[in-house]
Amino acid sequence: MSNETPVLELRSLEKYFDTSSGLFDAVKNRILGDGPSYVRAVDGVNMKLEQNQVQGVIGESGCGKTTLLRTLIGLYNPTGGELLFHGRPVSEFDKDEWKEFRRHVQIIFQDPFNSLDPKFSVRRTLAEPLEIHNMEYDDERIAEMLESVGLTPPEKYLTRFPNQLSGGEKQRVAIARALITEPDIILADEPASMLDVSTQAEILNLLNKLTDEFGVSMVYISHDLSTVSYICDTINVMYLGRVVEEAPTRTLLAEPKHPYTKALIQSIPIPDPHYDRKRPDLDGEPGDPINMPEGCRFKNRCPKRMDICDRKPLDIALEGEDDHTVACHLYYDHDEVEGDQPEPTADPASSATSAGDAA
Amino acid sequence: MSEPILEFEDVDITYRTTGDSDVHAVNSASFAIEEHDYFGLVGESGCGKSTLADSIVGGLDDNGEVTSGKIRYKGEEIQDYSESEFNKKIRWKEISVIPQSSMNSLDPVMKLSDQAIEMAKYHTDLTKAEAVDRLRELFDVVGISESRIHDYPHQFSGGMQQRTIIAFSLFLQPSLIIADEPTTALDVIMQDQILDYINDLKDDWDISMLMITHDISIVFENCDSMAVMHGGQMAETGRVVDLFDRPRHPYAILLQNAFPDVRFPDRELAVIDGHPPQLLDDPDYCTFADRCPWAVEDCRRGAPDPQEIEGDADHRAWCIRADEMEDLAADHLAPATGETSILEEDT
Amino acid sequence: MSRLRYFVRRTFITAFLIFLVASALFLFFRLMPGDYTALLTQQGMQPDQIARLEAKWGLNEPMHIQYVSYVTNLLTADAGQSFRHGAPVWDLVKPRIINSFILVAPAITATYIIGGTLGAVIGKYRGGLFEKSSIISVSVFHSIPDFFLGILLIAAFSETAGIFPTSGMLSTRTSILMQGEPFYAKFFLKEFWMHYALPFATITLYFMQYPALIMRNSVVEVSDQEFLHYHRLKGLPQSKLLQKLIRHASLPVITLYPISLATSISGLVLIEVVFNWPGIGRLLVDSVLARDFPVIQFVFLVAAVWVILGNFVVDLLYGVIDPRVSVEGDGE
Repeated sequence: MSNETPVLELRSLEKYFDTSSGLFDAVKNRILGDGPSYVRAVDGVNMKLEQNQVQGVIGESGCGKTTLLRTLIGLYNPTGGELLFHGRPVSEFDKDEWKEFRRHVQIIFQDPFNSLDPKFSVRRTLAEPLEIHNMEYDDERIAEMLESVGLTPPEKYLTRFPNQLSGGEKQRVAIARALITEPDIILADEPASMLDVSTQAEILNLLNKLTDEFGVSMVYISHDLSTVSYICDTINVMYLGRVVEEAPTRTLLAEPKHPYTKALIQSIPIPDPHYDRKRPDLDGEPGDPINMPEGCRFKNRCPKRMDICDRKPLDIALEGEDDHTVACHLYYDHDEVEGDQPEPTADPASSATSAGDAA
Repeated sequence: MSEPILEFEDVDITYRTTGDSDVHAVNSASFAIEEHDYFGLVGESGCGKSTLADSIVGGLDDNGEVTSGKIRYKGEEIQDYSESEFNKKIRWKEISVIPQSSMNSLDPVMKLSDQAIEMAKYHTDLTKAEAVDRLRELFDVVGISESRIHDYPHQFSGGMQQRTIIAFSLFLQPSLIIADEPTTALDVIMQDQILDYINDLKDDWDISMLMITHDISIVFENCDSMAVMHGGQMAETGRVVDLFDRPRHPYAILLQNAFPDVRFPDRELAVIDGHPPQLLDDPDYCTFADRCPWAVEDCRRGAPDPQEIEGDADHRAWCIRADEMEDLAADHLAPATGETSILEEDT
Repeated sequence: MSRLRYFVRRTFITAFLIFLVASALFLFFRLMPGDYTALLTQQGMQPDQIARLEAKWGLNEPMHIQYVSYVTNLLTADAGQSFRHGAPVWDLVKPRIINSFILVAPAITATYIIGGTLGAVIGKYRGGLFEKSSIISVSVFHSIPDFFLGILLIAAFSETAGIFPTSGMLSTRTSILMQGEPFYAKFFLKEFWMHYALPFATITLYFMQYPALIMRNSVVEVSDQEFLHYHRLKGLPQSKLLQKLIRHASLPVITLYPISLATSISGLVLIEVVFNWPGIGRLLVDSVLARDFPVIQFVFLVAAVWVILGNFVVDLLYGVIDPRVSVEGDGE
């Protein structure tokens, strides 16, 4: 594969959910002339995942990061935009290509306690994906994989069942299961968040090591910026369906631009009693995905709100920094930029077609 | 120094099981919380910290029991109190609780105002209207619109439910609040706001707090004193700054290093191998010995006694090698040297 | 108020469902092979007689006209005339509905009170012999087909012990005497209650499993709920805690009650046949044997309305006792 084509590319990816429930709403909407109301869970997300790159997506619960992940793995059909795998749009995939896609894109879930089949031994857990994808294997291959994820000696683990494993060991098995089909991409849904601190470090270190060793790319979603920073090359900050800032990890932590990113970083407790952390100046509750404000979705909580924030901010690369983009009116001169339209209001049906154009 | 508000002295807590062996969840726990102190209790899941908290308010399950040792609240022994004694003397008037899962702790079929009226009914002479007024004031304190006191819990978001729980915990102006993982289920920004409210209580309401958490950074930021627990045993206790500057129990040392610090994303995280033992016997050994890089034969011969650190009676480590740790763990004790924080305002 | 909106919405849906069922019944009965007149032909009627009858009953009208008059007639409780008795269907069915209802409603109610209490007790004090034997007994009673359970009871208490009469609602002599009296007059007779005992016991035993097992699981589940623990830590007295436990644990059982009441109608057919109880179940069987289509069609409609109304009551009940259902969350 060429170096120019990203392994995975998202172009204005959208996933909307229809919130009307059943016949009654449908009839009511018909009578009253309302369109269906949407939850814009993922709303125009752009991302390029290069080979062997780890991209983090971070945001509060309800920001759409889980929906994004499920759309990436093909569990949801995107309602708009395009998802390209090695440069090819997945919407054009036929059945065999989908199967191939599923072999190359693997997922590690948040909850190791429920993501392993309790009736499957470790051996069978790892053999199953190989059988599904008709890949040759023997016990040696499975044993090697167990060693790679640090379950040694592998013979000890092969015949065990999930209830005989600790949380950390379960998550290692889940990682082994994801890697055994030699995927290009791993999607990780906060794989360390349900584990104890001591084990959490173990899993983070392991993921770091394995992405290098196996040369896979990874999308890692989390709500916890402090763990994400240990593992990701680039971080996307997501707020109510949109990516508001993207930058390499260090840049993002050291020079956050978007007021939301700043608040996120300032909110992280620091394990040092001598350190006097400045708490963020932020009001309100996390945004409600059902009644989102027009324009910038963060404006109601933003300490720097301006009049212009009623318009949708453009996703702008910062001057002199190609890899640092931010969607905030503070960071660009509005006279010079074309196409800065106020977002269509009130009519969700029409914004369903136009949202994301600005990007 | 005056008498501590809460004192644990060699407390053992056991759960009877239907099997052969009982679970010894907490073994010889000793620590003291001073008046007007915020005390953090840190440990991994299953270390006994929640059991310990439950024992203070008589909240142990039916098969749980304080089998030996003394729990003193304001000087009075409470470990053998009956359910009605706890109701009369301790619960809510003296000690209130911010439980672990706020999302599931509010009665789903009762309006919040009715839940307040109920609290008032069993503990005070307040009329219904007065109880509702009281809740209205407290909603104001925790930053929820007063117009929402007649709502049902499910109409509130997670953060608002957590703040309601804080308001409830203040309802009878207790002296001590036990906060069991008060922010685990919340996002960072909400967690920060909640901790901010909790911090303000200390002076505004003259409250002492026992804060139980797995997140050592929350304790470092918000508490005055702390204890670290591992596998049902105490590891180390003392002032927060002392435990940060001079930790002397191996678990306390490693735990600090296992914690991600957003200021230093390049620092390697410490890994603590293995897991705590199942406490099916009365542990006459250090429960950390199997995970400890510095364990010696003697660690498995008898549960460790507390060692005073550098003659400080408040700072104690339950490790027979506590005196040597400064040298043994030298690599782990100065992690931040030579590193600079990458955060914006620090540079 | 969103709660009012919820109720209005459920009412609307219920009415719509009943209309739908009524229409479907009309359609299905017309689609059945062999139309109404085929039966009359079989009985040896001459074509001109049949034509006269068809004109009288409106059967020669176009289908949609028939449908409209069917629906409008239903609204005035006019379901046509029985082929067999010549009497209006409604007059035939009404006393049968009452007879069925006085049997099934108290029986199911008793089932829920006894079964719920039993379930609460075994849920609260788990792990004993009492729990095991209770679970086994209620399961056994439910595994036996209900009509067979009835036969067993008849064999034991009527044939062998001779305590209760085997069948009917009243003895033939008494029912002749009672003719013309209002339906509740018989409640004052011991004889009625003796007849009542066995079918009542059959239904009660047969349906005991649902409330008992669900209440047991519910009590176990609610006991572990955080909010109960929180109530305890808040210092509420034991009696209050128990009250709350029962209230929360009862929720699923209460909502199951109208469902059982509704679904019991299917079991009722056979129980009424076994005990010769003059309810709609037996009327249905008799009418099917006699090919009395207007009656069958209406009894089907009554059964469907019974089930739909049962579910409607569940929805309303749930809306009242659990605000999460009817009061929308704002979730800011």
